[in-house]
Amino acid sequence: MSFEPKILGIACNWCTYTGADLAGTTRLQYPQNLRVVRVMCSSRINPSFIFRAFQLGADGVLVGGCHPGDCHYNTGNLYARRRLAVTKKILEFSGMEPGRFRVEWISASEGNKFAEVVTEFTEQIKNLGPQTKFKIVK
Amino acid sequence: MATSFKQIEENLKNEARKLLEDQKVSLVLAYGRGYDENHPVPFVAKIAADVENIVFNEYCTANMARYLVRYPRGTKMAVAVKPADSRAVVQLIQEDKVKREDVILLGIPVIGMKNSKTGEVIDSKTTCGLYNPVLYDVLLGEEIHGQPVVSPYDVLAQYEAMDKDARFAFWQKEFDKCIRCYACRKACPMCYCDPCFIDQNKPKWGEKSPQSHGNLMYHLTRFHHLAGRCIDCGECSRACPVDIPLYLFHKKVARECEEMFGQAAGKSIQDKPVLVNFRVDDSDKILE
Ligand code: SF4
Ligand code: SF4
Ligand code: FES
Repeated sequence: MSFEPKILGIACNWCTYTGADLAGTTRLQYPQNLRVVRVMCSSRINPSFIFRAFQLGADGVLVGGCHPGDCHYNTGNLYARRRLAVTKKILEFSGMEPGRFRVEWISASEGNKFAEVVTEFTEQIKNLGPQTKFKIVK
Repeated sequence: MATSFKQIEENLKNEARKLLEDQKVSLVLAYGRGYDENHPVPFVAKIAADVENIVFNEYCTANMARYLVRYPRGTKMAVAVKPADSRAVVQLIQEDKVKREDVILLGIPVIGMKNSKTGEVIDSKTTCGLYNPVLYDVLLGEEIHGQPVVSPYDVLAQYEAMDKDARFAFWQKEFDKCIRCYACRKACPMCYCDPCFIDQNKPKWGEKSPQSHGNLMYHLTRFHHLAGRCIDCGECSRACPVDIPLYLFHKKVARECEEMFGQAAGKSIQDKPVLVNFRVDDSDKILE
């Protein structure tokens, strides 16, 4: 059986989540490995969400927010950009594969970009194989 | 020439006595005698008579900036600060935890501090490696110049060279030793949250018992919370009873922040902590 990764998506309400909706309403195909959680803004994302997702068995985490400058709250994603960059470095230095975590800016009108990113990221995670480093084994 | 430890101790006592007698401050954060010479303890002088109990020697490694946040806002305090400790005060001022006008920094230029557990000299490998405080009101010894400049990040090279699996194995082995005594966060001047995220129950961010996944959650998140704020005093690692080299991870994050945001922690009271700040032209490259 081929490996079907579990990917957590965290998308901001105003852009990426709406972009995902658009991908849906325009009937674009993308892999079903992504489970999307909606947050009000990319700056709502506590880095511990990401560590925790990996512990609870996510093979990859994809964060989506508005393009810098377009955040519904003006500056949320500018803070998030710095914060999540640090998250990425921490994951990397701890020994986690850097490719398992990605941040993308996807606007409400970019349904096709959403589908492309998800397709590509899923492919990437498939190549990396199951995530075992952080996963809690009971 | 660096001023001798004995002389610094004398100067520290004199300054502390003056400040307390003139009621310029209501307390002086310094060091006192422990059970022997090699184990001085944090000490608070509240009246002039307390000053006699102040000591200063090469084992006075504790970062006394740690205690500033314990007193109500507006308390006038003096604090003995070595170079890294002065950066902690600067960082606390940036974070509006203490007001510049409420603290008097008694700066101590030092060279040759020693780890009381191992007797090893503390240098840029386990601390920020500065010789002079970055901010002070009174200097208790002569400034130290002409020492070789070594980057506090040099020590990272061998860990960065490891491949990711080896690095994961290294940290897993280290974190598995952790007994969750929280001495690291108690020693840290920048760990002042109450409650600490790991003590919360709703949501419960991680296991509280010393198991490997709870340990991982605690440490990774703590590193994150200290990103751009850790001033590299190295006290967390010296406080750790099982000798986990936490300083390595903190140094790594500090270096990344410095490279990405162009600012090191605790250098100037004009700065804003990097993670509560942004530039519109921050590059998306940092996310790669
Ligand atoms: S994390 Fe460690 S080295 Fe950094 S400020 Fe806190 S005690 Fe000092
Ligand atoms: S001081 Fe050491 S053993 Fe104690 S909680 Fe911190 S890392 Fe764990
Ligand atoms: S609302 Fe989309 S990133 Fe802030």
